[in-house]
Parts: sequence; structure tokens; C-alpha cells
Amino acid sequence: MALIACGKPSLMLYTAAKMQSILRRPSSAMRKILRYSTQIQPDVDVEKTHLPSEKGAVIPQLDILQHPDFFKVHELFTVRDLFDARVHLGHHEGSLDERMKPFIFGSRLGHLIFDLDITAYHLRQALNFTAHIAARDGIILFIARSSQNTHLIECTALECQEFAHTRYWSGGIFTNSEMQFGAVTRLPDLCIFLNTLNTILTQHIAVRDAAKMCIPSVGIVDTNCNPNLVTYPVPGNDDTPCAMELYCRLFKEAIRRGKEYRTLNQVEDSK
Amino acid sequence: MLLRRVICNNVCYRTYELFVCSNACHLKRYFSTDGEIELCDKMPPSTEKKRGGFAQAFEKYTSPPELKPPTPEKEETFASLLRNSKFTDLGDPQGKVVTGKIFQVVGDDLYVDFGWKFHCVCPRPAKNGSEYVRGAKVRLRIKELELSTRFLGSSRDLTLLEADATLVGLISSPARLPQQPKSS
Repeated sequence: MALIACGKPSLMLYTAAKMQSILRRPSSAMRKILRYSTQIQPDVDVEKTHLPSEKGAVIPQLDILQHPDFFKVHELFTVRDLFDARVHLGHHEGSLDERMKPFIFGSRLGHLIFDLDITAYHLRQALNFTAHIAARDGIILFIARSSQNTHLIECTALECQEFAHTRYWSGGIFTNSEMQFGAVTRLPDLCIFLNTLNTILTQHIAVRDAAKMCIPSVGIVDTNCNPNLVTYPVPGNDDTPCAMELYCRLFKEAIRRGKEYRTLNQVEDSK
Repeated sequence: MLLRRVICNNVCYRTYELFVCSNACHLKRYFSTDGEIELCDKMPPSTEKKRGGFAQAFEKYTSPPELKPPTPEKEETFASLLRNSKFTDLGDPQGKVVTGKIFQVVGDDLYVDFGWKFHCVCPRPAKNGSEYVRGAKVRLRIKELELSTRFLGSSRDLTLLEADATLVGLISSPARLPQQPKSS
């Protein structure tokens, strides 16, 4: 891949020394590719990797990923809580997106109802993923376009020391970030969409752009949304303030648990 | 939670409450017979005296409230939750009267939340207009639960993200002065 980026048409034998020099002084194209990487580099000590691991040695980073619910996010909510927060209420049948049909319980006199058992499963997956990202020191960005809940989401982001973007989204924030901000940027490692639609009821540009930049996304998808490009869609109501309060509370708690684990790990490592 | 029958001008109509009132549940549990049975069990059988009705009532209502740990409820399925919900009780929402709470006032526009996905916006009525403030409980007659229609040429409905309802009356308002207690 690096060879193609260099644009050298002729076949050349690249020795190890030559490759090292290319990587140490990367070309402008190479620099751009490296900058847009959102891969979290594992903090592995290079000197130790070639040593054989001791028998019975537990590598903490891999162990927690094998666990289905390490941060116990299933304790954060019940189906009853979702029901009381009106998460099951959907739009009218006329604005239904065909791709949302698998998540719908049914419709009562034209008003769609989400199946909260399916929603609960997806929400647990999303919260678990969020907690793991937070535990690995990832940058999380809350995105929403509902003006009624802007203040709530920004406060939530502030309280869990992450970021939020609930205002007008200019086109190249992800795809042309260097030009947009005039400096080297690091893109978020997770985007949490509390509304996947923008104010004119078309899909938010960030959904597509996050997918383009290989940034995983968690999104609350309502009956009129397209769940395809969202990595962890959570089918549910995104219009009622009490539902939004519930989501904000749950995501904040998941992020807090992830960060708590990280600080504990760091304390143990430093000992 | 509780269906209130309101008689007004010789017209009987039911007012629906879409709000879930969790406080009422706790109150119900406290005054249920379970509490009384527990009290009896605590007394040792040898010293059990037959108490009169007044003595029992006096003890029950003056003793400090017992904070029972919340009993784990049975696993409620979503289907049963929905079947027993206020939304299902409503039936056809067209023309039904519900109670709502004003959560925002912008000039003469009242934003009322009645327990549905959307709020509704009603103009301030001429009568008792100053009492319609944030936190006031009002009665609404629903016209439509969601203002969404399909326009010519589009494949999907366009939604206004609002419900449509008319104000029927005021139930309570924080702006109303508390009534003077009647002195005999």
C-alpha cells in the first residue's frame, strides 16, 4: 500500500533499511494516510514481544475483550425503564423506513411501536462497546441535531469529559479536517448519534462520513431512519426529551465505568 | 393511572392519564394489607393482646413508616407492559380527553406534554390566561397524535414532530393562589 502511495512506477527492491527511511521521513501522501488512522495502537513494549509469554500469564487487555459483558451494562437498565421513558413509541406508518421493519413490534392505529426486547439487546451491545472504547482511552463524540435536547447532550458530554457536536455540521469536518481546522487533527474513535436525522429530516452527514473514515458509530434509530451505516444501531424513540435523558444517562454511566477501569489499571501498572 | 370521572355541566366524560405515576405504586404498597400482616408477625405470640380497633389504627398511623426493601417484581414482558399501558386503554386517540402538563411557554404558545412521543402546542385561552404557566396541568382533547401527511410526489410522509390537540380546561396551576381554609 505504501509503495502505491509513493507513486513509483518502476519495480525497485526495497531493503529493510530503505523502508525504515521511508517511514521515518514520510511523503505528504503517506503523512495524510497515517494521520487519518483511527487505530488505537496497542501499548505493547516492542522489546518484550519476541519473548515467549509465561505459562498461565493473563494479558489483561485481551481478557476483557473476550468477556461478553465485562462492564455489566445489562444492570444499567431494564425493559421497564425503557418503557417508562417512552422508548417504544415510533412515528406514523407513513414515514416508516423499510429497513426498520425488523425492529418494529407492530402498529396500533397507524402508530408504530418498537419491540423493546430487541431494543434492549441492541442497547446492551452499544453500551458495552462504548465502555470498552472509553476503557481504551478513545475519543467519543456525541452528535445530535434536535434543538430541544442540545443543552442536555452538551452537559452530558462535559460531565463524562468527552465531546459533543450538536450544531450545524459543515461538510468536511471528518473528510477534510486538516483544511477545516487548519491544524493536524485526531478524529474521534466513536461517534454516538442521538439523532441520525438532521433538522430537515434527511440523514446526518456525519453518519456517512464516520463510515467513510472507518469510525465506528452507535446510533439511536427511529422508525423514519436508515440503520444501515450505523455500526451499533439502537432502535428507539429519539424525539421525546425523557427518552433522550435516559440515553444520555446510560451512555454517561457506561463511559464512566470504562474510564474507571482504565484508571484502576493505570494505578496497578504504575505500582 | 386512576380513571377520574368528571361531571361538568351535566356531561360525563372520562379523563385519561397517560403519565406513569410511580409514587402512587409505592403508596399503594404501603397501605396494602401486606404491611398489616407483617406488623402482626413481628409481635411475639405470648404477649399478643387483643387490641381494639382504635388502638390498632392509632399504632398504624403514628408509627414511623417502615421502609421495606422493594420486592423484586416478576419479569414483565414487553408485550404485557404494552397491553396494560395507558396508550392501549386510550383506543382510538381521535377525540379523547387527556391530561397534560405545560413544560414551556413562549408568548401566547403553550407547549404541553401529555405522555405521548410528541408534545402539542396550544394557544393561550382568553379565560384565566395568566394561570397557564410552566407546571400547570391542563385537559386536552386530542385531534391527532402526530401531524404527518404525505405530500404529492413524495414517497414518505412529512412529519411536523408535534401532536394536535385543543385545550379544554385547566386542572391545576402553580400560579393559582391557594384557597383559604374554611374556618368553622
